[in-house]
Amino acid sequence: MIARILVGLLLLTGLATLVARRNLVKKVFGLAILNSAAVFLFVMEGAHSGQGAPIVDGSALQIVDPLPQALMLTAIVIGVCVTALALAIAARLHRATGSLDIDVIKERLGNGHD
Amino acid sequence: MIELLLAAILVLAVYAMLTRDLLHGTIALSALSLLSALAFAVLKAPDVAITEAAVGAGVSTVVFVWAIRATERMEKQ
Amino acid sequence: MPTRLAALASVLAAAFALWPLFALDVAWPGTVRDYLEAKGTVESGAMNLVSAIYLGYRAYDTLGETVVLLVAVTGAIGMMAAGSALAPREAGGAPVEPARSPRREARSRQRTELIAALSGKLGAVILIFGLYVMLYGHVSPGGGFQGGVVVASGIVFLALGSHGAAPSPLVGARNLARIESAGFAILLVAACLGVASGKGFLAPPLPGGDPVSFIIVLNAVIGIKVGAGIGLLCVAMLTEEAA
Repeated sequence: MIARILVGLLLLTGLATLVARRNLVKKVFGLAILNSAAVFLFVMEGAHSGQGAPIVDGSALQIVDPLPQALMLTAIVIGVCVTALALAIAARLHRATGSLDIDVIKERLGNGHD
Repeated sequence: MIELLLAAILVLAVYAMLTRDLLHGTIALSALSLLSALAFAVLKAPDVAITEAAVGAGVSTVVFVWAIRATERMEKQ
Repeated sequence: MPTRLAALASVLAAAFALWPLFALDVAWPGTVRDYLEAKGTVESGAMNLVSAIYLGYRAYDTLGETVVLLVAVTGAIGMMAAGSALAPREAGGAPVEPARSPRREARSRQRTELIAALSGKLGAVILIFGLYVMLYGHVSPGGGFQGGVVVASGIVFLALGSHGAAPSPLVGARNLARIESAGFAILLVAACLGVASGKGFLAPPLPGGDPVSFIIVLNAVIGIKVGAGIGLLCVAMLTEEAA
């Protein structure tokens, strides 16, 4: 129960970083933390149903649920892709406007186009 | 055990949220991933642990450091 | 400040909406776990049930993930290339660029010989470990994605060991891009072989053969593709700034 509340707080930390900070790299930090929290929730809940790693090698231990692990495996790899793409976009915006602050970027891009 | 690791992870996440130096935040996220990998190994998920250790501590740190060098290191107020 | 208030409100709303997810104590459903424990190894041939799921039961999903990976790497590298090609023409960015270059040189001089020597030697060891994780994914923890990201971090170490210049030709950006495309093509061909032999998309093509051999092949191909893709991203990012 305590562990689950901590994961919830981690998720909220990620969300707060995503919505409250104006720096684009900070927003990507938020995405990474959110991803971590989701992975943690799945792996932790799946681990309640057994004591052994999901490898059938004849040991007596009851295995944990392998399904959330298989799902989270791909989620981690996709998470790093999302991070890389978001940071490439942030760097491109910085090159175009000279700032990482979302308000400044909005202002400078808006002036350029109007 | 898991609660302790999660508490440390939460502290690192809050530090990454609050610090003005983006490089410090990147290192905090990298440590967060490493602790997550340890926690996954404790939770009997060795596959996820290997992936998280390689991705979180290796690849995503490289990506963040590239972005910070290509842009700026300090978050302006 | 209204923005701050809105952010606080959205975090509180998310906490309220997610509260049931974290507070309710519903037992984790055990049907899938019991089925996989009883039949997983027999049906897919892999002792590691995680491999059995993502290359056996959910292989179609895995194919989709590799497409996402390909698109994300392409997009990120395309974005980087577009950024550097457009840089001289940007009017707004012009005063920033010259001021930054001396500071950047000072920073790259801080890279020590120690890191270069150590990570250059460690890179080869990590590559071997990645190949092991990749190829033994059906009997021990590991598999295509896990081995692929370990290989990618080995490539990062090799790139760090060569002073930020282009690393050895095998892990140069151009070759990695070729390896990734070839890996994806082989993956598609391997997926379609099952159709040709009448067993269905992504089914093991050989008649009467042990299904585990197909899992090993898929693990190797996916591992090489993921390793080359993420490695390409990292090499491009590490060498871009030195060029």
